[in-house]
Amino acid sequence: MLSILTRSLRTGILTEKDPFAAAPPFGFPVIDFARCIACDKCATACPTGAIQLTPAGPDRKLLRMSHAACIQCRECLTACPEQAISKAHDHEVAAYTRDQLTRVASFDVDEAGRATFRGVAAQPGPSLDESAARLRERIQGRLGRSLHVRQVDAGSCNGCELEIAATANPVFDLERFGIHFVASPRHADLLLVTGPVTRNMEIALRRTYEATPEPRIVVAVGACGCSGGLFGEGTCSSVGAVDQVVPVDVYIPGCPPRPQAILNGLLVAMGRREARLAAALR
Amino acid sequence: MSAAVWRERLGVEGLVEERPGEWVVRAELSELPALADRAAGSGLRLASLFGTDEGEGRTAVHHLWACAEPPGFVRVWAVVPAGAGFPSISARHPAANWFEREVMDAFGPVPAGHPNPNHVSLHDDWPEGAFELRKDFDERRVVPRVGGQYRAYRPVTGEGVFHIPVGPVHAGIIEPGHFRFGVAGEPVLYLQLRLFYVHKGIEKRFERLPWRHGLFLAESISGDTAVGHALAWVHAIERLAGVEPPPRARHLRVALLELERVYNHVADVGAIATDVAFTVPASRAQAIREDLVRSHERLFGSRLLRGTIAAGGVKCDLTLRSRKELMAQLARLGRDFKDLVSLLIDSGTFTDRVDGTGVLETQVARELGVVGVAARASGLDLDLRRDQPHDAYRGLRFEVPVEEVGDVRARLMVRAREVEQSLSLLAQVLDALPDGALLSPLPDALPAEASALGWAEGWRGECLHWVRTDARGGIDRVKVTDPSSRNWPALVRAVPGNIVPDFPVINKSFNLSYAGNDR
Repeated sequence: MLSILTRSLRTGILTEKDPFAAAPPFGFPVIDFARCIACDKCATACPTGAIQLTPAGPDRKLLRMSHAACIQCRECLTACPEQAISKAHDHEVAAYTRDQLTRVASFDVDEAGRATFRGVAAQPGPSLDESAARLRERIQGRLGRSLHVRQVDAGSCNGCELEIAATANPVFDLERFGIHFVASPRHADLLLVTGPVTRNMEIALRRTYEATPEPRIVVAVGACGCSGGLFGEGTCSSVGAVDQVVPVDVYIPGCPPRPQAILNGLLVAMGRREARLAAALR
Repeated sequence: MSAAVWRERLGVEGLVEERPGEWVVRAELSELPALADRAAGSGLRLASLFGTDEGEGRTAVHHLWACAEPPGFVRVWAVVPAGAGFPSISARHPAANWFEREVMDAFGPVPAGHPNPNHVSLHDDWPEGAFELRKDFDERRVVPRVGGQYRAYRPVTGEGVFHIPVGPVHAGIIEPGHFRFGVAGEPVLYLQLRLFYVHKGIEKRFERLPWRHGLFLAESISGDTAVGHALAWVHAIERLAGVEPPPRARHLRVALLELERVYNHVADVGAIATDVAFTVPASRAQAIREDLVRSHERLFGSRLLRGTIAAGGVKCDLTLRSRKELMAQLARLGRDFKDLVSLLIDSGTFTDRVDGTGVLETQVARELGVVGVAARASGLDLDLRRDQPHDAYRGLRFEVPVEEVGDVRARLMVRAREVEQSLSLLAQVLDALPDGALLSPLPDALPAEASALGWAEGWRGECLHWVRTDARGGIDRVKVTDPSSRNWPALVRAVPGNIVPDFPVINKSFNLSYAGNDR
């Protein structure tokens, strides 16, 4: 007993004061559209279709990039012949809709097939501020400063689970923010769901959601939870993103998202932090 | 030369060495059981069993056997005519149990003579006659849910005897699966499992993706085994393409695989402490793990070591300076971890919970074909790194820790001793990293109608990827064998006789992957 006490005293406090202080070495890719020639190389290299290039008429091309589907594999960086894609050291990313995680750039194509950047399309749907206000209104301060979370693995590879579990370790210690993991959806304010939702977990997820008291918040975690990721949507085994089965309030993209990003997403859902997008989407 | 050895041992004529360490023979369907007996009799171990679509409704059944001397794998395969079944070997070789039922669930042929020929991977609402891995089955097809019950749970009757159903959504931050305990008071009479809740159709998906994207799928089979499965995949691709990664890459791969082993083993030792409510060492283990995965992020750009392995080599490098830093950190980790383990095993209240708990006997482990940590904790001395060496393991010095008792403590001690060995391996690799390139160039296309096996000893046990290409060099079939597929049935044998409150710690001491099993 004494040895345990002395060891604990010697170890001291490991918890980081500000878990969001250090930027990650790699967040999400950033495309410099001014240098982009809309050549399709990044879209071909992307394993999840997070970058897609589609012709829109004879003299127009659209380049669509979605951080919801990005698994941060960096293949696009090496594939780009113009070095137009760089790695951003994005801080923690979270959003309220899939559209907020997506940007569409349009390019003019001349007769020789050369593409020049024209502009970025306006993001459809509510802005971050509007979404934040809506969520606040729905919760109506009923959460106070505490949040009970039930985690649901609806099909994950367990990478997200490792990082969710890490938020509870002594270094991050999410309980100091009033966040606590509970054993039953009936005790929970919030469902933290990883995906892709499989056919065999769809019913269980729906029932878990129904067992959660109002105003229940749903947070989708990871590229697969946000978009179906590598496993796709609408296959015979994978239903896809969490929002295909239950309504989602906050999306935390990444593969897997770092514990800092998960913690940030939970604080965003509580209304205690502002949602931020990756540099490329701002 | 070695092919002649196997021809004689198995008594088959047509056996050929398809690639170094891969012997293949096509047999008559009716010969499979006799060949399986001869294989087992000559010291082979069933490593996997799977089906392939041979067109026109035919299926092939492949038995994959691992052998230590000469090191490699023997694949015996036979074609099942359309509409026919295939002879089961499960009654005499229980390791084949789930595998044969998976062939039935994904391709159709029924294993004749199987002691329990029920569905294993299909859930109750999957319709009859829809076989996911057949070529004429479109991945994007809508499969309606149907009523009915494929697999009733074994009933329990008697006074004070009842079922405890648990899952698929569990109380902790873990993966989904359904456990059904038959109990009489506290002690568990038997345990039934229903898994495949996180079945994502990964093997089918490999067939649709361009082969270069298969690597990312391999990294996502089981998130905690990103390096293990990535290595098994790239080994198969490299054997198909005839590419040898450069020495520096092979050594860096060893470093990555051992780092993955260390972070998982440290976390598991802590989780075992958590499950017996010993919080101080549990927190220490989490802190040690966090420190290490932060270094992963700094050095390799990913906490869980994703995106580090490439077909033909590696995508990352270590400078002399970062190697020195890492070595210093690992030396510190070694001391802290040793301290942590002694804190656990010197505590009577801890050993009281883990000694004699969840015993998996050696004989049972051997019959079920258990692999990895669980096998070595039950007295089975097997490890692909030594027995069928891959990457740079042949030239490195290490021991394979084996414990005899097969209880929770044995599985903990195997992990603790493996961390020591991993640290020694890391020191050897980081100290003398060969100079040179990181990647060998790959051809643009894979050879058509060829197959190869890739293997790697991941932290949990052996990861196997068998890859076959089609007439255009695209991916025709990938069979992923995760160590969990072979170890889940062992959990069923280790739990009965223990009390229900000990189940979490027994389960955690195996720490099997649901995602890897369900795919």
